[in-house]
Amino acid sequence: MTILEANNIFKVYGEFNGERETVALNNINLLINRGDFVAIMGPSGSGKTTLLNILSGIDQPTSGEVTIGGENLNEMKSDALAHFRRKQLGFVFQDFNLLDSLTVKENIMLPMILEKKNLTEMEEKIHELASLFEIKSILNKYPYHISGGQQQRTAVSRALVNEPQIIFADEPTGNLDSKSSTAIMECFERIVDKMSTTVLLVTHDVFAASYCQKVIFIRDGAVHSSISKTTNRNAFLTEIMDNLTLLGGR
Amino acid sequence: MTFNKIVWKMAKHHYKKYIFYLVCNSLAVTFFFMFTTVYLNKQLVEMEQSEGIQYVLSIPGVALFTFTIFFMSYAHHIFMKKRRSEFGLFMTLGMTRREISKLIVLENSIIALISLIIGVLIGATLSKFFFWLLLKFVGIQEILFQLHAKMFLYTVIVFLVMFFVAVGQSLYLTFKKNIITNLKNEKITENVSDKHARLGGIGLLIVIGSIIGLYFTYTGHRGGDFLLLWSLATFIGLYIVLYHFTSLLIELIKKNKGYYYRRLLYLTNINYKYKRLTSVMMLVTVMIMVTLLYSTIILFTYITTEREAIEETPFDVAFIQTDSTNNVGIDAVKAIFEQNGNRVQRHVSVPIYSYFQKDYYEVVHAYTFMSLDAFNELTSSQFELKNNEFIYFLNENTETPESIPYDQGLRIPSGSDEIIYDVKEVIAEKRMNTLSNLSEIFVINDTELSRLKRSVDGLAAVVHLINLEDWQNSKTEVKKLKQTFESLHASTPAINVEHIVPEDELFQISSRIEGYEKNKNSNGILFFVTIFLSVLFFIGSFFLLYIQLFSEVDKELERIRKLYRIGITSKEIKRMISQEITTIFMIPTLLGTTLALLYILAMATDIGGVIANPEIILHFLIVGGSYFVLQFAFLFYARKKMYRLLSTKLAHSIDKANI
Ligand SMILES: Nc1ncnc2c1ncn2[C@@H]1O[C@H](COP(=O)(O)OP(=O)(O)O)[C@@H](O)[C@H]1O
Ligand SMILES: [Mg+2]
Repeated sequence: MTILEANNIFKVYGEFNGERETVALNNINLLINRGDFVAIMGPSGSGKTTLLNILSGIDQPTSGEVTIGGENLNEMKSDALAHFRRKQLGFVFQDFNLLDSLTVKENIMLPMILEKKNLTEMEEKIHELASLFEIKSILNKYPYHISGGQQQRTAVSRALVNEPQIIFADEPTGNLDSKSSTAIMECFERIVDKMSTTVLLVTHDVFAASYCQKVIFIRDGAVHSSISKTTNRNAFLTEIMDNLTLLGGR
Repeated sequence: MTFNKIVWKMAKHHYKKYIFYLVCNSLAVTFFFMFTTVYLNKQLVEMEQSEGIQYVLSIPGVALFTFTIFFMSYAHHIFMKKRRSEFGLFMTLGMTRREISKLIVLENSIIALISLIIGVLIGATLSKFFFWLLLKFVGIQEILFQLHAKMFLYTVIVFLVMFFVAVGQSLYLTFKKNIITNLKNEKITENVSDKHARLGGIGLLIVIGSIIGLYFTYTGHRGGDFLLLWSLATFIGLYIVLYHFTSLLIELIKKNKGYYYRRLLYLTNINYKYKRLTSVMMLVTVMIMVTLLYSTIILFTYITTEREAIEETPFDVAFIQTDSTNNVGIDAVKAIFEQNGNRVQRHVSVPIYSYFQKDYYEVVHAYTFMSLDAFNELTSSQFELKNNEFIYFLNENTETPESIPYDQGLRIPSGSDEIIYDVKEVIAEKRMNTLSNLSEIFVINDTELSRLKRSVDGLAAVVHLINLEDWQNSKTEVKKLKQTFESLHASTPAINVEHIVPEDELFQISSRIEGYEKNKNSNGILFFVTIFLSVLFFIGSFFLLYIQLFSEVDKELERIRKLYRIGITSKEIKRMISQEITTIFMIPTLLGTTLALLYILAMATDIGGVIANPEIILHFLIVGGSYFVLQFAFLFYARKKMYRLLSTKLAHSIDKANI
């Protein structure tokens, strides 16, 4: 069952500013199914972040359409879109995107608070996620006092708190050491397995991508190829590396 | 490209930073200089007022002084915070510490010098304008704008001291402290703890205690001496309260989780910012308090000028008539007033008899006697006196003295004998205008007065007390009466009372209109000076809040961008910004207003309490109300500006796909 559909996405930068035009996305078509765990890979500057931002409604395409769960993002007004995004979508970023003034617990709760959920529901959800991601002991600490891995697990918990249909992650392991990266990728694995959430991540980290079931390669703003995991993770890792060599760049 | 060129190029690129710093410094100099032009104005200092202007301005002076100092160091701090990252870059490029120190000192010196010049020029111009307004609208001729060396000297000294302290501190910070740790410290939010809450409570107690202390000490002649002390205590307490205020509040609010979470973003962000804001809040609160307090008090004095005049001069016109002075028939006097239709409504003539006595040191003492009949008429009372009794009549509005110098009886030598009177009653009430020696009067019965006149040498006179239909319109008539008396004086021989009463005193006319105009003049000056200071304070406090808000706009943007990424609506953002700005503007306003009101209540004991002077509350409401209106106008302006700035910046950063 399709959850996300992108048709003929173009994104051109500098069109109006008189700068030199950059075609960041050049006719992208995508289909993501419920429960998919997909990575988008490509060299730096190939348009990964741009694509993810457009798919998740943070940015608008120059042309083309994005539909999530049957709703066309292009047709939504900005506040409706914001409501849709915080209810239906979850976000994880390279820089964690946590608020310094809030404790871990408050950071996780924030999307629920914005949705005006009731107190017991919030407490239950926090409890559930904190045990799942092993952050119970740091719930009352401020982001500044915890490690990058813990911050990212906090961010993943926050992304999940409103039980979204799909989670978008832009380089979630980009600022983490290998141990924390593993932990985060295992978190995503767990989410997909246990909650049958859909996860779409952008990365240029081969190791992180190997956790996914499918990898889509893009180059110069267009889909180049895609592969699916058929065997175990190590074999998939080698396959991804081979494809990257084919793709060129780094 | 040489280093100097790089530095110069960067400076040119970041010229806005320098302009900001320059504006702040110039503003500080302007404020300070304007204040000195008032504070050190010779005519104002020597103004005919029981309390000189420097006394009246002592608290606003301290407040303004603190403000100026704070404002400068604050501006410097913001400037250097931005500069320091660049210095880091210069250092990695190989610039030595010595060179950087030189750079810091050089650029700060240049800015300081320019600010001094600009500030003094603007300050002098504005101040001159202010004095012109004073002349134009209050019609105060005797106070002229002046500049003298002391004003420049004080301004330059204060400015330079501040400057060296600030620059020294910056040099220290730039090298001794790790920049990274500085940055880190900013991010850490202090946890709310019991200790903070308790300290906040202590601060509150200090504030309350100081106001109660003021209430009980602000009476009598020396009451004002403690004012500065109590206000210092209030300010210290206020600082403690402010510092722990949000912790205290949030701890309380956290008890109700639902309520707390619903306002989570707002509360945590206020708390987060607040600690760094404490000094700004403190200063703004104090400025608002001082402004409201002084404006109210001065407005009260200004508006009650009339009441004061009525109290000071019970009769519209009064003069003393003797055989050889002012000896114009009362009908002629009445005619002067009535020729222009100002009817004489009441005329009381009080015969008095003054007896003079030289003491051992050749000092002349005057004893003025009044007949009981006249006294009873004057005070509409029905006292009776035996032959050997007198009423001690103090013609002043003071408390009745507990003991008088004549407790043992008043002894008047008469030939080889003595006439002795015993005091029957002591009465202190202003019933006549102040004229010559009409302050201490001995009332004796009519037979005794006749006897006294016969047995001791003295001066017989009649005090004429006149009430008019319309005293406000008696200026020309009073003048005419004066001229009449003077020309009469010129054509009559000198009075024959052995150099006892300065003869001039006997010619004086005490009129309500003159007293009123004199008071109006000096109160007018005070009123104007206060308005001038209020405007300075208002602009100053607004600037401070404004700079505070907008210097942190990048942080704010960062936070909003984070929120935007997880799906906050623009409506929610707008509400959040609005709530925060409103809080930051309104907390000092509310606190300052409350404190001013409490101070007014405490200080009103000196004039018999607020209950006896309900107008003072009215005046407070007028002043406070106008302040609120202005503050709201500024608040809306700042909010609109902030919202616009943030939304364009946010849109820009989304477009740049940095989200
Ligand atoms: N706001 C922007 N304005 C102009 N060009 C942009 C903007 N954002 C991205 N680009 C360009 O679009 C291309 C894709 O960028 P991006 O999506 O960030 O790539 P990736 O995430 O794969 O490194 C790059 O060439 C980049 O320079
Ligand atoms: Mg990217």
